[in-house]
Amino acid sequence: MTGAEIVLEALQREGVDVIFGYPGGANLPIYQQLPRYPKLRHVLVRHEQGAAHMADGYARACGRPGVVFATSGPGALNTITGLATAYMDSIPMVAITGQQNTTLVGRDAFQESDVIGCSMPVTKHNYMITRVDDIARVIHEAFHIATTGRPGPVLIDICKDVQQASCEPVWRDAIELPGYRPAFTPDLSRVREAADALSRAARPVILAGHGVILSGGQQELIALAERSVTPTGTTLLGVGAFPVRHPLSLHMTGFMGTGWNLKAVQNADLLMMVGMRVDDRVTAKLSEWAPNVETFIHVDIDPSEMGKNVRPHLEVVADAKTALREMLPHVQEPKPECRRPWLTQIDRWREEHPLKYTRSNGHLQPQDVMIEMYRRCDDDAIVVADVGQNQIWAALWWNYTRPGLFINSGGAGTMGFAFPASIGAKIARPEKAVWCVAGEGGFVMTAQELSVAVKHRLDIKIVLLNNFSLGMVRQFQDDFYGGVRSEVDLTEMPDFVKLADAYGLPGLCVERIEDMPAAFDFAERTRGPVLIDFRIDPDANVYPIVPLGKGLNDFTELPDEYA
Amino acid sequence: MSTPSAEPLSRFRVLTAVVEDHPGVLTRVAGMIRRRGFNIQGLSVGPTDERGRSRMTLTVDAGHAEVDQVQKQLDRLIEVIEVEDLTEASRLSRELALVKLAVTGPQRDRAVAEVDRFGGRVVDAGAEHVIVEVSGEFDRVERFLELLRPYGITDLARSGPVAMSTEVAVHER
Repeated sequence: MTGAEIVLEALQREGVDVIFGYPGGANLPIYQQLPRYPKLRHVLVRHEQGAAHMADGYARACGRPGVVFATSGPGALNTITGLATAYMDSIPMVAITGQQNTTLVGRDAFQESDVIGCSMPVTKHNYMITRVDDIARVIHEAFHIATTGRPGPVLIDICKDVQQASCEPVWRDAIELPGYRPAFTPDLSRVREAADALSRAARPVILAGHGVILSGGQQELIALAERSVTPTGTTLLGVGAFPVRHPLSLHMTGFMGTGWNLKAVQNADLLMMVGMRVDDRVTAKLSEWAPNVETFIHVDIDPSEMGKNVRPHLEVVADAKTALREMLPHVQEPKPECRRPWLTQIDRWREEHPLKYTRSNGHLQPQDVMIEMYRRCDDDAIVVADVGQNQIWAALWWNYTRPGLFINSGGAGTMGFAFPASIGAKIARPEKAVWCVAGEGGFVMTAQELSVAVKHRLDIKIVLLNNFSLGMVRQFQDDFYGGVRSEVDLTEMPDFVKLADAYGLPGLCVERIEDMPAAFDFAERTRGPVLIDFRIDPDANVYPIVPLGKGLNDFTELPDEYA
Repeated sequence: MSTPSAEPLSRFRVLTAVVEDHPGVLTRVAGMIRRRGFNIQGLSVGPTDERGRSRMTLTVDAGHAEVDQVQKQLDRLIEVIEVEDLTEASRLSRELALVKLAVTGPQRDRAVAEVDRFGGRVVDAGAEHVIVEVSGEFDRVERFLELLRPYGITDLARSGPVAMSTEVAVHER
């Protein structure tokens, strides 16, 4: 078999069904063979960054690794932002890039670039293949690394002459990676202690991160929160892990989290952090974070997360689902009177600090759009958000009564992520309704992928929250940078209805709240992609928000006169 | 690279790592250390007794990170097989220094006598220079250099330390 055939055969053996890719000089041998592998569905993207985000969205939606093809040089480099996005959020992906011939590598040949060097900091691991005999083993290892332990993207750079060379591949199941020991045997030695501490605490809080979703531990989380009667919030990436309308829900934490969540975190005596990195967007000013906590419990699959940002008293190095499941039987149900003061206090904070937004100033409000969208999602749709205000509005108004899937680029904060990621999500889960929420700024960064949605007739409803500006940056400038509005104006944008038309999908523009239901009706009736350009209040802001550099106690809310 | 002794000791970690002898492993280790805000003070790499395995000895300034992060982040690298933090352990450490001195006549005799007394060795000599070597713990090498500085060091090459735990329980794979 040729190297190219081995690549495709190996992908089939790994159970791959979809590849998001783009051909070019250095991966032509693979593309020459591709038609002979009809089980491998290929989605031809319009830009390699789109391929990476699609593979990412695919993986987030179904849990299987997303696969990317790109050619050497610019093709491979265009995937870097997508790899970084996946790496920050621990998403399993395998990117296979073509590389110049082994004899030309290092000579600055045409479309040669150091893809290994460039991708090293944004992948879990990467490989350069210079011998055809290595292909089968490396691809098997790559899938193993991408999907086990803390997942992540792996890149394989394959020289073109290696794709053309031949050998008899040896297909081994066994993996020999002596230095790779993900937490296969979870360290559960502290589970009982953690459960005891949780039962005994007077003011406990659980915060759940992406690890709960990645491990499929949503039901275990609910069970533990209920048994221990512990108020539970999520990080931005954890949105969906815990039902927002659950009586114990604290909704989202962090520097744009809900007031009652932040109050609870700041007053808790025990904080259990599950499957999260405790990053700066969660803690705001670290020295002022959770000042009353006597016991920090940290559950994470990655030992290096222990003490990276916050030094826990109890470490449980295990995947969230396993840890929560093992903890449950050790939890003593607290007496109702023990928890009542804390729950009552939190209820009071919930009433004192509700989510508020500006109403009746004549403009369409993004929150109105989100509320209506979620009403129609019926606790079931996948929602993919972009980055910026739209991301936070979509997160804060997410209101499912049961766990759901909310996808966004929480770690890297990659604008342009949502639309291609929603394509990947829809391909992974065709039975699910997929809604893409984006600002106009991020949307145009990858809007060329509209062709892909049209070509594959993907039923994706694009909700554009269009304020003709870079809203989050504008808000920061207004509030934290002396009100100097610098380079945030996006008045010169395409007519999105015409843009949709040009790409061959229906588009609508909605400026008034009265027209919103009809537009949503239309979107729901439409098979295939549809775009709605919601012209929202250009001054709509995200609240609550913690001023940059301040602690969670300093969160500010929408002034009452606007509410 | 600066002198570790100028800084509070605890931030400096002495680690040894057994790594797969693949192209790019050094880049991975060095890249991770830079990326995480650590700083390499000393580094040496050489083969182990086992084919395909190398041993790195690193002296790393953990920077603003918690000191155990250096070991944990090294451990995350797929090709790093085993990491030991020897900072607090009983360990043996050796560094080699080659020192070129531009000395002639009686000054040379005095320099060579000092080297002898210290336990160093003259390894090369020309009309205008001698090259001497010394090996030992970091501090010993530092003292040796202090001694020779008045003679005018024209060139200095240090290997960076290699280290090994003296405890028996240390397992070699």
